Amino acid sequence: MAIAAVAAVAIGVLGVLATACGKSGGGDGSRRGEPLRVAAAADLALAFAEVGKAFEASSGKKVEFSFGSTGLLAKQISEGAPYDLLAAANASYVDDVVRSGACIGDTKALYARGRIVLWSSDPAKLPAGLEGLRDPKLVKIALANPEHAPYGLAAKQALERSGLWASVEPRAVYGENVQQTMMFAQSGNADIAVVALSLAVTLPGGYVAVDPALHEPLDQTLVVCKGGSAGGKPNEARAFVAFVGSEPGRAIMRRYGFLLPGEALLPPK
Amino acid sequence: MNGVDLRPLLLSFEVATLATILAAVIGITGAAILANFRFPGRDILDVLFTAPMVMPPTVLGYYVLVALGRNSVIGHAFEALTGSSIVFTLTGAVIAATIGAVPLVVKNVRAALEETDATLILAARTLGATRLRAFFSVQLPLATRGIVAALMLAFARAIGDFGVTLMVAGDIPGKTRTASLAIYSAIQGQREGEATTMVVVLTFLVLSLLYAVGKLTARRPR
Repeated sequence: MAIAAVAAVAIGVLGVLATACGKSGGGDGSRRGEPLRVAAAADLALAFAEVGKAFEASSGKKVEFSFGSTGLLAKQISEGAPYDLLAAANASYVDDVVRSGACIGDTKALYARGRIVLWSSDPAKLPAGLEGLRDPKLVKIALANPEHAPYGLAAKQALERSGLWASVEPRAVYGENVQQTMMFAQSGNADIAVVALSLAVTLPGGYVAVDPALHEPLDQTLVVCKGGSAGGKPNEARAFVAFVGSEPGRAIMRRYGFLLPGEALLPPK
Repeated sequence: MNGVDLRPLLLSFEVATLATILAAVIGITGAAILANFRFPGRDILDVLFTAPMVMPPTVLGYYVLVALGRNSVIGHAFEALTGSSIVFTLTGAVIAATIGAVPLVVKNVRAALEETDATLILAARTLGATRLRAFFSVQLPLATRGIVAALMLAFARAIGDFGVTLMVAGDIPGKTRTASLAIYSAIQGQREGEATTMVVVLTFLVLSLLYAVGKLTARRPR
């Protein structure tokens, strides 16, 4: 008897949930009132928070960000996660989401080029350049996981090309994304971190830029996505993209150390 | 199967084994105190032992980073003594896995100890056994079945720890990248084959353990 009652209640609850989901998921612009959902690489955490606020102020539309490693976000979008835009930290993961059919290929665009830096909360620990990482006094060196975080891959490439990988690898610890990597160094658990300039630039502590010729360019590419089964907001997504490329958007991105399309510092592709 | 890195699975076994031993020592001691003594603050101690079961892994991970991190007093002393930190090492991974396992040991062992026949313990005391002797030679052996079940549950929980490990262990391949971290990496890195192998092994292992626990606890004579 009791079991039957519990089952009846459970079925009832599931029914209500299903109807509610059905309503919010039903096609033709039914996501009215919901924010624009942007999946963004972790290196954008500070810059895009600011870009988002400026966009909301100028357009009156709401935007919500999910920051994570580009690899994770791309995977989620390919599996149908409801994002309207993917702002990646490189180009290859964008190709993946387009190939999966979750995003719109002809909206692919380069919006910034990233840079990596050595960062430490204690400027006294900061070496003059990559070569200084040989110093055994740097007990733990944090990088983002090179397997799915583009900034981690760039860090690994730069270390390999300067012949430092063998020395650094035994001391390396890996953050799930570049923001967690930063946290390892901020909390003092890692002595130094190889992170995005865009995260280092506003924080107390010190950083040293890494020569960008040492790694594949971090060509940060974005693409408008279809929003999964709930349906996308392609027009608002495009408006956000236009805002990132507008002068107020570019001013914010420049402040966080990004190199921008069309500017002298960015070599032609 | 070829080309699949099995180190994470082996490492998970190592971490879970060490964590189970550690959880057994802490958990059985805790359970013995809770089951046999009445004292002010007993309920609070019980809450503290149980809390990791329901607390978000991020909260626990944060506590570990703050309490045992390289800038903490304990972390600093440990590093000065052993030359290696607690976080980002096997030690850190074991501690992360132990935290989740301890509540399972405390809860289940306490129940097993409380179910033992009190008259047998009293008989041992009247025959001149000290409280400690009575515990080790009468109460503990009587509760063996429940204790073994508790340790199997602890092992199953330890081998699957993800959240705390992700926060404190540093995801170092071959050193702290346990199977659950490796699965996470493999899925994000689009290496489904590798993820599937480890998922299947872990699922099979944990289901077998749960089955064994069920058998052990069900056949308890009344």
